[in-house]
Amino acid sequence: MKGYRRYFANKLIWFFITLVVAFILNFTLPRLMPGDPVAAIVSRMAQGMSNATGVQAIYEQYTELFGINRPIHEQFFIYVSNALRGDFGYSISQYPRTVADVIRSSIFWTIGLQLPAIIVGWILGNALGALAAYRRGTFDRVLLPASLFVSSIPAFGMAVILLVIFGVSLQWLPTSGGYGYDLIPNLSWNFIWSVIVHYQLPFWTLVLITIGGQAIGMRSMSIYELNADYVKYSRFMGIKDNQIVRYVFRNAMLPQITGLALALGTMVFGAVVAEVVFSYPGLGSTILTASLGQDYPLLSATTLIISIMVLVANFSIEIIYGFLDPRIKAAQAD
Amino acid sequence: MKHTLRQVFRSGKFVTGFIIFSAILLTVIFYPMIIRDDPLQIIGQGTFFPPGIYVNIADSMSSTRYILNLDDAAAKRIASKLNDADREAIREWLVGAGIPEGDIDIANTESLLGLWVSNYDTTVRIPGMTNADRNYYIRLNRSLDGLLSEEGVTIAATNPDTNALEATGTVELTEYANIREVANVRILPLGTDNFGRDVLTQLVTATGVSLRIGFVAGLIATLIGLVLGLVSGYIGGVVDDVILFITNLFTVIPGFILLVLISFSIGQEQRGAFVIAVVIGLTSWVWTTRAVRAQVISLRNRDHVNLSKLSGHSIAHIIIRDVLPYIASYVIMAFILQISSAILAEAALSILGLGPRTTDVPTLGLMMNWALIYQAHILGKWWAYLPIILVIALIAFSLNLMNTGLDQVFNPALRD
Amino acid sequence: MGEVILDVRELTTKYVTRFGENVYAVDHVSMEVEEGKSVGIAGESGCGKSTLALSLMGYYFPPLHYTSGDIIISGQKITDMTPDEVRKTILGQEIAYIPQAAMNALNPTQKVIHFIENVFDAHKMGMSSADVRAKAESFFHAVGLPPEVLDRYPVELSGGMKQRTVIAISVILSPQVLIADEPSSALDVTSQKMVIKMLRQLMDKSYIKSMIFITHELPLLYNVVDDIMVMYAGQIVERATAKEVVLTPLHPYSQGLMGSIMVPEAGLRDVKLTAIPGVPPNLKKPPSGCRFAERCKYVRPACTAQAIPLRDVGGGRSYRCILSPEELSEAHAREVYSQHVH
Repeated sequence: MKGYRRYFANKLIWFFITLVVAFILNFTLPRLMPGDPVAAIVSRMAQGMSNATGVQAIYEQYTELFGINRPIHEQFFIYVSNALRGDFGYSISQYPRTVADVIRSSIFWTIGLQLPAIIVGWILGNALGALAAYRRGTFDRVLLPASLFVSSIPAFGMAVILLVIFGVSLQWLPTSGGYGYDLIPNLSWNFIWSVIVHYQLPFWTLVLITIGGQAIGMRSMSIYELNADYVKYSRFMGIKDNQIVRYVFRNAMLPQITGLALALGTMVFGAVVAEVVFSYPGLGSTILTASLGQDYPLLSATTLIISIMVLVANFSIEIIYGFLDPRIKAAQAD
Repeated sequence: MKHTLRQVFRSGKFVTGFIIFSAILLTVIFYPMIIRDDPLQIIGQGTFFPPGIYVNIADSMSSTRYILNLDDAAAKRIASKLNDADREAIREWLVGAGIPEGDIDIANTESLLGLWVSNYDTTVRIPGMTNADRNYYIRLNRSLDGLLSEEGVTIAATNPDTNALEATGTVELTEYANIREVANVRILPLGTDNFGRDVLTQLVTATGVSLRIGFVAGLIATLIGLVLGLVSGYIGGVVDDVILFITNLFTVIPGFILLVLISFSIGQEQRGAFVIAVVIGLTSWVWTTRAVRAQVISLRNRDHVNLSKLSGHSIAHIIIRDVLPYIASYVIMAFILQISSAILAEAALSILGLGPRTTDVPTLGLMMNWALIYQAHILGKWWAYLPIILVIALIAFSLNLMNTGLDQVFNPALRD
Repeated sequence: MGEVILDVRELTTKYVTRFGENVYAVDHVSMEVEEGKSVGIAGESGCGKSTLALSLMGYYFPPLHYTSGDIIISGQKITDMTPDEVRKTILGQEIAYIPQAAMNALNPTQKVIHFIENVFDAHKMGMSSADVRAKAESFFHAVGLPPEVLDRYPVELSGGMKQRTVIAISVILSPQVLIADEPSSALDVTSQKMVIKMLRQLMDKSYIKSMIFITHELPLLYNVVDDIMVMYAGQIVERATAKEVVLTPLHPYSQGLMGSIMVPEAGLRDVKLTAIPGVPPNLKKPPSGCRFAERCKYVRPACTAQAIPLRDVGGGRSYRCILSPEELSEAHAREVYSQHVH
């Protein structure tokens, strides 16, 4: 148990370090760039180019919220403490809504879509990859190039293709939004059904793009494991084939879990873009709104939230992994 | 070296990928030499002209006329104006207007048109018909006008003296123009986009630009990764600790977040294709660093490296002569992957509205972005989005295939 | 003369490559192993000795396929049995195997005791897990391992402990024949000797009745086994007592193997220099005459004309060469003499 405690403590410390770095990057990167958006907001005011009350209010709130006139390290601490309280100021493009309000209305759509889709895609992909490695033959010969091609289609491409087939041509499913545009969110069956129907296309898009890469990875891991010495030895000790297959897939699965943690960033990127194609009311669409509306406070907060989501997911995966792989315990015990 | 190359080209996967990629590359190089049109020139007035050969009507009327007596000409003419859906729609209207269903034979063009001409009236209200339906029938009625006539078309011009229309000639239904004698013909194999620009020409240019973005970003990422990996793996100690720490940090903090943040902060004005490529390169070196570092560490204590150290060779000499050749295959594989992921990253950024500025060059991402904004996919204008997805997928597919092929040659354990 | 435990008659097995070619890596091999005896099989890597080890198990999976011949263990002709019968009643119980890379022979994510339970389950022994544990503990004790090892994962064990664990598990069903495929090749010299000694002890204590020991280092077999078979290109080229093969080898290939230079440094063991120039023939298209002719110092035209049969010279000794024992001994003596002069 001591080994585990050390492993978890390590992971926890690492989680906090990455969290702090994510905050620092989110704060400094925009300020280092030639087009510093914070300065842009200030200068837009200073030049008096706009006298709309909205910009005035944002400017004032900004000066206060970010302590623009104070030294940079103080600004950072103000930024962090505001962020921890969930205070990101007003959204420029959707004034008078606050950034926190905009994000609150989109974050659950993103989590609700991406988390299940990535998990389902991961499971299906691994099952297919394992099957391909085990069955070999035609199944494998067809599956590998197919997975390679499917995983070469970018997320937005897959989104468009599914949308055109099932939304436009067959008209089975709605093409955009998270629910019918004529509905007001409530807990009626009508609304829930609408949400479920609108969920299908984005969900299966993400599942499909996740499957390809996972299947390829699982296939080569399984082939590697099937050729491992312990497989040969177990066979010659008379162990049944289905028992050996269980050894192999458990062992091949373990690196796939770590692989998931490492690929998470790229997956979320693809998913965020796919959201845009479906005008799904999640964080992807929020980024689009923010970039089109030159809405720095909204963009900055969204990227921070996504970073934190990815870091938390990563941390959870590593904790789960720690329980599953005895090698972790052994490595820590030395 | 020669042996390795021969082995690589014996891998079916690599060769397939190589052929696809070369075909794309050659198209990008040679197409602009033949078709010299400006890819961003707006030629179409209107959005999304379908693919096809566009023939100037005035020019074809003034070119030599040939009489061809073709039996199926009338049938084709009718078919193009009156397809099955139209016939069905006519039947619906007629039924709605009270004509007994038994009298209507939609396969018989003559009787159907006869019923239509004698019964259709714009003022008749059919129950359940929407405004859009009504407009459809008005358009249909207009296009059916004179469909069965065997008369030619009369060409008229305004007489400047009397201001009256005077017939100046006729065009018989059997008259043809030879398309090669028509002065102005424009082939638009993939039609036009939402701005009225030639999609194919733009697509080829965009593919070139995206490939260049891929190469630049891949080169930057690979160089950074190679240098960091070499330094970290070979020197070890504190330097390794620091580089490893940074690499681990950026493995968990998603690179695309930095990409989005930086792209946004630079601002539309500053965001050229090259700048985007550099930013992508700067945010995607992590994997190369990890791979190179791991390889170098396993190489560091090999006999030939130790021998070189004992012989008093300089670090540069050892790295270039005794380390680089052994990791070359990994670096090339990493580079190939970087190219394809950079092309995808550019496309994704553009769709989020953070791509290169739109005025100077097209990229695959920008084209996709415009197609999506103008809802080409919803409107069924496949030529405006499908070729782009296909090109991106083919580039990524060919590079992935080449990579898998290389992997199987260099890591025989994976060979089946 | 003890009872014959393992009787192999004209066994031929092949590899089928990805392109559908047949590679006969074991070509009409016959051998007998008697109770209480140990047999060594020697040859360069690629000569078919490891394939022979796998083929003797009677349990084939791609790319290795059975072609013809018989394997009889304790009177049971296992080549006539279904694979599942072989698996259930022969493997581990009649014939057991210690793989080349014993270090990696255990599933890294499974506790040792769970693997042992799986082994007993696979043979339908119907033992309670307490009995299995008791039996495992006694076998582990026999190879000098504490009972705690049973509850460890293989990753938690040192190299030497893993080696002993594998040996203990291999003999836990008291097999008649134990095949050890270079069990020592990954170890340093001291551990190598330890492993060999342990295997001998197991036989002395009759945990196993007989042993087949496979190695590429012919001289290593001298003190370990009773008889030696030398393999080349899928065939047996010489069979005799260990003493005869090591001290007075007849076949030019055996002579060459004895002349191989042993390089003791750990890092260079892979690039071990051989005194025999050239490489074994491609078994996709084996030569029709003597398979060693291309590399043989004493080659003459008659060698490549037709296949060379195994010649029995009495006393259980046989070899595959057209030269007479006297000619071969004489040539060998000249060879050894000239080496000493230079």
